[in-house]
Amino acid sequence: MLTMDALKNFGANTDEALGRCFNNEEFYLKLVKTVPSEPNFDQLVLSIENGDLKRAFEHAHAIKGVLANLSLTPIYDPANEITERLRAEENIDYKPLLDKMMAKRDELKALCEE
Amino acid sequence: MDRKSRYSAGIKRKVIVVDDEYVNRQMLGFIISQKYDVMYAENGRDALEKIKTVKTELSLVLLDIMMPEMDGFELIKIMKDDEELRHIPIIVLTSEESAEVKSLKLGASDFIMKPYNRPEVILARIGRIVELNEGRHIIQDTERDTLTGLYNQNYFYEYAVQLDQYFPNWEMDAVVIDVDHFHLVNSLYGRQFGNEVLVKIADTIRSILSETMDGYACRYEADKFYLYCTHLDDYEVIRSQIMEELFTLGDDKRVRIRLGVYSDVERQLGMEERFDRAKLACNRIRNNYTQAIAYYDNKLHKDAIFAERLIHDIHDAIVNKNLVVYYQPKYGVQGEKPVLKSAEALIRWNHPEFGMISPGKFIPLFEDNGLIQILDHFVWEEAAKQIRKWKDEYGVTVPVSVNVSRMDIYDPRLETRLLDILKDNGLEPSEYMLEITESAYSDDSSQLIEVVQSLRDKGFKIEMDDFCSGYSSLNMLTMLPVDVLKMDMQFVRNVHTDENSFKLIKLVMEIAEFMNFTVIAEGVENKEQYDLLKQAGCDLIQGYYFSKPVPADEFVQFFDKD
Repeated sequence: MLTMDALKNFGANTDEALGRCFNNEEFYLKLVKTVPSEPNFDQLVLSIENGDLKRAFEHAHAIKGVLANLSLTPIYDPANEITERLRAEENIDYKPLLDKMMAKRDELKALCEE
Repeated sequence: MDRKSRYSAGIKRKVIVVDDEYVNRQMLGFIISQKYDVMYAENGRDALEKIKTVKTELSLVLLDIMMPEMDGFELIKIMKDDEELRHIPIIVLTSEESAEVKSLKLGASDFIMKPYNRPEVILARIGRIVELNEGRHIIQDTERDTLTGLYNQNYFYEYAVQLDQYFPNWEMDAVVIDVDHFHLVNSLYGRQFGNEVLVKIADTIRSILSETMDGYACRYEADKFYLYCTHLDDYEVIRSQIMEELFTLGDDKRVRIRLGVYSDVERQLGMEERFDRAKLACNRIRNNYTQAIAYYDNKLHKDAIFAERLIHDIHDAIVNKNLVVYYQPKYGVQGEKPVLKSAEALIRWNHPEFGMISPGKFIPLFEDNGLIQILDHFVWEEAAKQIRKWKDEYGVTVPVSVNVSRMDIYDPRLETRLLDILKDNGLEPSEYMLEITESAYSDDSSQLIEVVQSLRDKGFKIEMDDFCSGYSSLNMLTMLPVDVLKMDMQFVRNVHTDENSFKLIKLVMEIAEFMNFTVIAEGVENKEQYDLLKQAGCDLIQGYYFSKPVPADEFVQFFDKD
């Protein structure tokens, strides 16, 4: 079962995130559990594979917003970097950044499934 | 339930959170759900559909910008272009600083930065926008006339003044548009039709203001419209445009409008004063069916001010004895020589500032506003005292006729008042004659006939004044309780030059004889007229031929002549 401690250990800024939820842990955890199945992750990867950087930016931007609100910092950081590079239309190899983000997403997924 | 009722009932206001991300929607919804009834939409298109279903009760849209299907910017544009949705405030949710300015320019009220730090601040911002918007709406509700959507009078004046301030050099006109006899339109065709007329006029004015001229308009009282607009040389174009639109409501229903225009207003006058002038022009053609537009000029203004002065001064005139009763003799002419039979009491006003004022200037004015009763009562009392005085001092009885206005006829105390006056002066009704103008009879009111009949039963002699000036029919004569016909001065004046006038007078004499009426000719000025009238069989003659109206102390000279 996902706990606040587990999220803290994961690196999430749970205090900050709870502040947005009037310290309602249950509500916060409920929202966090939706993140691993968030379709924008896979859509982002696909868009980059297809070279559609504009679409990729939209997905990255969407993910970043959700992660920021939930203060899921370990995933947010690479997502933020991807978003900003895509916004600047940087034609780089995004794979290392994507891998880093997806690894952290999978880590969260594992926590949720425990 | 409308916005204001909901406000007072303390019910949660409805807001919609539009965001394509479930987590973001839920989190913001969670923050605000304590205070608001929250709806959700996943994108602009979904939001638009939902907003339309709750447009009258929605207090706020919280809107993300980057969304699939329809983004936030597009939704803002659509809402601001929509008459029914543009009043709903929008707060943009964004993490992009660049989006803030664009959103505000498009018409968003505020923005909230993502991520949602400090939920209390978010709640406060939302609360402020909702409150501001409701306040604005309360103002908008009160500043508009609910039927026509035009401004009401007070706000209209405010906006008109503002227009002056912004454009001090514009030539502006104050225009009053009045629906003729609107109460009759309501009675004849129903109140709903009456409302349709008002709405049609308002709509036409609105479209004129948006297409051809600058300015503001309001509905004033029930059936008038005020227009403060850039100058136009000829308002016929406006009048005909409104009439054309009214025609579409049904060509069988006759509705007429008239316009009073105060052109190129003087800026130093107050706004109300400017419209008083336009109203004055408009009132001048109230019963004139040949003229539908009147322009204010200075003479009109002077006449109105003079009329106001007279109305103001009438009470003082009585107290200060500026009102005086004059008497004009009436002679019986069918004997060997003319014999003084009676007199007519006529009012004169010696105003301390204006001098002698012609009755033609103040009597029609007082007939219009009801003050004529004050004058009539004054004359009745003075005349009765005078008859008494002549009886006491000279041993002569001169019956005096006094005017009874249409308004007196409908006064339930009329008979008592007249009888009291006679009683106070020890007079009999036969010594006191009542003149009622012909046009009062053509009201064809059974009440009028009843009242006059009752006075006649008490012994008063009734004279029908201005006979032949109006629309009396021969048939009417058989029904009217009248003793004396007093022929209109216009006929008498032409009797010696116009054969038809003479023939008509002879005809009247024959009818009078047949009906047993006495006939008086008034306005007789010379011997020619006198001879012809005498020859025609006229019983009594009054006019400058014998004497002009004179003060009571001069009247006694006619006793000596007898």
